[in-house]
Amino acid sequence: MVKESHLWIHKLIYIYSPKTIPIGDGWWGAGEKPSTEDKTIHRFVVKTSVEETEDLHRRIDQTRFTDPLEDSRFNYGFNSNYLRRVLSYWRHQFDWEKQVKVINQYPHFKTKIEGIDVHFIHVRPVQKAGQTVLPLMMVHGWPGSFYEFYKIIPLLTKTDSDAVFEVICPSIPGYGYSEAPHKKGFNTLEAARIFHKLMERLGFTEFYVQGGDWGAFITNNMAQMKPECVRGLHLNMVIARTDSLGQLLSLVIGRYLPFLVGFTKEDVRRLYPYMEKNIYDILRESGYLHIQATKPDTAGCGLNDSPVGLAAYILEKFSSWTDLGNRDLEDGGLERKFSLDDLLTNVMIYWTTCSIIPSMRFYKENLKKDFKTRVDRVTSVYVPTGLAAFPDELLHCPSAWAGSRFADVCSFTYMPRGGHFAAFEEPQLMAQDIIQFVEKVESKSHK
Amino acid sequence: MYKELALALGLGTVVALVFLKKRKSVLKAHDGWWGVGACHQGPEDDSIRPFKVETTSEEIEDLHRRLDQTRSFPSLEDSQFNYGFNSKYLEKVVSYWRNDFNWRKQVDKLNKYPHFKTKIEGIDIHYVHVKPKSLAEGTRAVPLMMVHGWPGSFYEFYGIIPLLTEPSSPDDITFEIICPSIPGYGFSEAPHKKGFDGVCAAHIFNKLMKRLGFNQYYVQGGDWGSLITTNMAQLEPNAVKGLHINFAPPGKAGLLMMLSILFGRRFPKLFGFTEHDVKRLFPTMEKLVVDAIRETGYMHIQSTKPDTAGRGLNDSPVGLAAYILEKFSTWTDPEFKNLEDGGLERKFSLDDLLTNVMIYWTSKSIISSMRFYKENFSKGLNQPHAKLPVYVPSGVASFPNELMHSPKSWVTQKYHKLKTYTPMARGGHFAAMEEPQLLAEDVQILLQFKLLYNDRSLL
Repeated sequence: MVKESHLWIHKLIYIYSPKTIPIGDGWWGAGEKPSTEDKTIHRFVVKTSVEETEDLHRRIDQTRFTDPLEDSRFNYGFNSNYLRRVLSYWRHQFDWEKQVKVINQYPHFKTKIEGIDVHFIHVRPVQKAGQTVLPLMMVHGWPGSFYEFYKIIPLLTKTDSDAVFEVICPSIPGYGYSEAPHKKGFNTLEAARIFHKLMERLGFTEFYVQGGDWGAFITNNMAQMKPECVRGLHLNMVIARTDSLGQLLSLVIGRYLPFLVGFTKEDVRRLYPYMEKNIYDILRESGYLHIQATKPDTAGCGLNDSPVGLAAYILEKFSSWTDLGNRDLEDGGLERKFSLDDLLTNVMIYWTTCSIIPSMRFYKENLKKDFKTRVDRVTSVYVPTGLAAFPDELLHCPSAWAGSRFADVCSFTYMPRGGHFAAFEEPQLMAQDIIQFVEKVESKSHK
Repeated sequence: MYKELALALGLGTVVALVFLKKRKSVLKAHDGWWGVGACHQGPEDDSIRPFKVETTSEEIEDLHRRLDQTRSFPSLEDSQFNYGFNSKYLEKVVSYWRNDFNWRKQVDKLNKYPHFKTKIEGIDIHYVHVKPKSLAEGTRAVPLMMVHGWPGSFYEFYGIIPLLTEPSSPDDITFEIICPSIPGYGFSEAPHKKGFDGVCAAHIFNKLMKRLGFNQYYVQGGDWGSLITTNMAQLEPNAVKGLHINFAPPGKAGLLMMLSILFGRRFPKLFGFTEHDVKRLFPTMEKLVVDAIRETGYMHIQSTKPDTAGRGLNDSPVGLAAYILEKFSTWTDPEFKNLEDGGLERKFSLDDLLTNVMIYWTSKSIISSMRFYKENFSKGLNQPHAKLPVYVPSGVASFPNELMHSPKSWVTQKYHKLKTYTPMARGGHFAAMEEPQLLAEDVQILLQFKLLYNDRSLL
């Protein structure tokens, strides 16, 4: 009798407890795995040298320019005429030593996890009386870096809210100052587990996570792997499109009867015309994804040798993904939202670390044949979630669909402006949204 | 009264059909202007100037400098060529290129055939023109234009040219060969205006043949060359007497194609499928979809952002070599992806491979070569030339390792006068360079087929 009731209780618990995805384990260092691992956290300072700058200048000086097609603007990719201006700035005005000081304004660290050095910055808050300090990990994407968060960090480490944040921004292994995995198979699940281990090593048992681009997938996985550790998940890229029959049908109906499928006016504005926004624009903008998901070593080879090539490749995304209309501008609209100093600092992080190739490999490791059926794609997320839907994000997800992936949506905000690189472009708006989301979660949990 | 009406309708229909058929059969092309700025009024300079490929010590020193400053990044353990060009083998290639490859000697080799340039529609068109050294009594050399593709060049034909201009057998036909460079590739000037697609190239090449004094000629091509020569035949069916291609990708997906994909595995004979056809097409998901996705990343990025994709490659010779030679590996045999060295030197010499890369490097044409993809694909797949069949006598050489396989029944959907369809014994995408003997034999077969079946209009 007692045994049977145990079984029933187990069954009940299983049905009502959130499903998690397996944590797994890995080894990414060169060669065989040793018996012990060095778990110390080392202080790290970004450095540069005269040789590094001279080498860069030499390569910029030997750029072989070609003319763009007449009147092609940014529709064929990065316009060569505007590229000349960027290069001239990079060569003669950009001060890498000064930028390195800017990068070093926050403390950097490295620690070995699963065989590779993982880099992160760790910024402690300015705590006012009565404020709770909440740890927050913010994860970047491609072709970004931890540097994208430099404008938003001060808005989170010093707040007027009940909460103030202790911010940790790691570099995804293979990006920037984090060592690249030496073995095949390093995908977002592996990165998520490594970041969990990092937070554990830093002494955090509960924390918030925030991400966009790959960061959105990684933080998503973190919430799925160990929901007990993730207090809340905030995403500026809403990854809830499942292309299920239900979603596809609502796309068809939603054009004419939006209220029937839960679409708001803003949803309709962002989703339609369907073919243009969901098919053509995506096809036009996903060439990089296709080649990186199949031949990353080839795609990145020339970019690792040519800073101009690297800059054109990366900055083209900062143009198109901030506003697709930028493709029709002679200068790609880059300097409307970003400074050349900031844009080139991000490029220099890829350049000085030779990380463009491993950064591209991440696409291949994740976009395998099983990318729709992989365990994390078919499992929901049960931690409190805050979604910030920016209007110029590449693919829009209506709030009505958020529930198909996220079981506990605490806030869904239609942001007034901003594109893919939200933290970089609209730090104020993003910080506001994170804070209001966290306030909601904290007040709920105190009840 | 009704009788008259019926007659009028009947006649009207017949006239309309004839009219429509006539209009449908010939592709129309307008003269373009691809030079800088506005089109000049007045006659164009149509002189033909001899051209010599040249190099300088500065050019070679610059190349060496860039090779010496290569920043390589190690490939993942046990990844061979599955993530793209393998870093270990790339180091070998770079070392050979830097220390053993002799560009001056290769330039001499390039110049062993006469080169020319002539301005057409505002841009300089480069071509190689090889006349046979000796002709048998009473015969004429048959003019044949051979068009390359991407990432190839006119140089791909250097192995096959002597087999066609000096055939060993007295029964073989002797050819006079013209190998142009597609505008934007190699030594042909790149178009300065948007919109230069395969039909525009075909129109220019037809003009070139006319300018050289040929009213009737044959054409051969693979990769883009196959599309361009097909367009040439569609544009000028009276000038193009025969068309030979070694690449015939499936055109529009018609009903027959769909049915054959659905039922061809069970009932191969119904669709004329051979064992080889079945092997190449089924399982359909794997062979037609997954394999295609795996190998078309370059096509996707070049069709959308060519200026970005080519930017780094125009500055980094190593990047350029990796990008181009990866294709010479995978497109020769898909199994080569699993080899540490990509199997490159099994079918090609490093000298030949690097000479082709040097043509892109010295002419700075990688970006303009990539733009051709955008110009052809961005208008969609429903272009007039894609809907029109080809009425010129055609021959297809189907190589076993070609990227996309088209069984005979699919080819006849577009090529209505298919005379020969030859499953080749071996070879991949770069057929002229890899198997020049086999390709030359098949060209001869097509022409002799025509001889046999009475079409002696040219010979």
